Amino acid sequence: MKKILLCCSAGMSTSMLVKKMQEAAVNKEIECHIEAVSVSAFDEFIQDFDVCLLGPQVRFQQDELQKVADRYNKKVEAIPAMTYGMMKGDEALNQALSLIPN
Amino acid sequence: MSLYNMVINFVENKIAPIAIKVGNQKHVRAMRDGFIVAMPFIIVGSFALVFAFPPFSEDTTNSFGRAWLDFASANFDNIMMPFNMTMGIMAVFVSMGIGFNLARAYNMDGITNSALALMTFLLVASPASEGALSMGHLSGTGIFTAVISAFFAVELNRILQKYHITIKLPEQVPPAIARSFEVLIPVLFVFATVFPLSLYLQAEYNMLIPDLVLEAFRPLVSASNTLPAIIGALLLCQLLWFAGIHGAAIVVGLLSPIFLTNISANQAAYLAGEAIPNVFTQPFWDFYIFIGGSGATLALVLLMIFSRSVHLRSLGRMSFVPGMFQINEPVIFGSPLVLNPTLFIPFVFAPVLNAIVAYTAVHMGFVGMGVSQTAWTAPALLGASWGSGWTISPVILVVILLVMDLFIYLPFFKMFEKQLLKQEGESEESKQGSTSPSGSGVTA
Repeated sequence: MKKILLCCSAGMSTSMLVKKMQEAAVNKEIECHIEAVSVSAFDEFIQDFDVCLLGPQVRFQQDELQKVADRYNKKVEAIPAMTYGMMKGDEALNQALSLIPN
Repeated sequence: MSLYNMVINFVENKIAPIAIKVGNQKHVRAMRDGFIVAMPFIIVGSFALVFAFPPFSEDTTNSFGRAWLDFASANFDNIMMPFNMTMGIMAVFVSMGIGFNLARAYNMDGITNSALALMTFLLVASPASEGALSMGHLSGTGIFTAVISAFFAVELNRILQKYHITIKLPEQVPPAIARSFEVLIPVLFVFATVFPLSLYLQAEYNMLIPDLVLEAFRPLVSASNTLPAIIGALLLCQLLWFAGIHGAAIVVGLLSPIFLTNISANQAAYLAGEAIPNVFTQPFWDFYIFIGGSGATLALVLLMIFSRSVHLRSLGRMSFVPGMFQINEPVIFGSPLVLNPTLFIPFVFAPVLNAIVAYTAVHMGFVGMGVSQTAWTAPALLGASWGSGWTISPVILVVILLVMDLFIYLPFFKMFEKQLLKQEGESEESKQGSTSPSGSGVTA
């Protein structure tokens, strides 16, 4: 089971992407648990997930968050603008999976 | 260099780096996250206030209104309890939230520092007297003090830990017990530093520290309610969004203490039946300036739904429901609005015009000022009414602003649509050119 955390300012717009990513995961027949939370809860949640993707609008916090994520050996990356804008679940899912070491 | 390029360079090279540094700064983040902790209490509490003051006139003949009015006056104290125990002590939650988050940013223990921050705040804002804690400074008038005292408490603790000025117990002692001893020293130090200051102020000037802090911040708070300040804040927000950065998170994060101070003062006036003073509140920002999200994009989404461009039409349809709830990242990144010269002007100036019209409407008495902190994701029509205590005129104002935004976005939208139709037409042609047989047909 791959556990993917999505973060943006309030966890609202990323929750829209969660649904699209879950659909993509079903299509690819990969078991995924995907959750969207506010970036203020990152500290609390990152330990229980394999990777975190950020909404591009909070990309400016990536360095700070990666520092926290390093404690648990997890990667944090921002989702590309168009992928996020058009809510492309399959692209985001691929991005997340590529960041999880196997 | 074109004007557009100059603006872009200015934003990307001068404004964005500073805003990013500020947005990432530990104390700014702790403040932002600390207010998030307090928000649910504040919103529900505000709701209770408005429930206690039905939006009907005293001599209404409306039976529903009559019943509500009677119920409210008979049970006033009980109905107000949710307000008193949330909004009425909101600085307490802010203090705890900021103490926790700043500690976590330094990788220190969250809960002990949260408690330390709270103690520091209560010590200066509501020293016990005759067996009670006065509530005077636990609400809006104590917000800035809560922020400062939380910073002070956590920083003091951090410095004490850094220079190992603590009580260190042997390794064998369980961590939780060791930790509880460690925090004895910071508590003592808080008393040693802050308490004498508080006593001095009370003796010499008959003031508490929050009174002093309020005086210091008074010019800033007054200035915040002026139109130039409002426009300045929203311009910064929009320029950052245009560069793809969450302008609202940064700007609203910084404005939170001002918003809460303002709305708390408005609520006090509302309760006392006095004129409500402050125009710059969260409902004003979210439901008059930014209808549909940052950039007042609901108008743009409505235009997109009927577009002839495939891209815009599908984006518009996908973004309509989120847009009704003030969420617009799909529009911002999908159109895209980010770094899009064609839509720059309406994206930045539709909100400016919204602000000017709404500000005028408020000052002419057409709509009331905000008295209720609301959920920013409420649909704008609902939220505007909610924020002003469930009156009708805000709804009318939002409709007027939305129609104005439609007209502002329209010409630029048409230009952008034309560009996209051209692109879509070209890609259609190249697709047809490669798939259809070369028409070497019979010319009969």
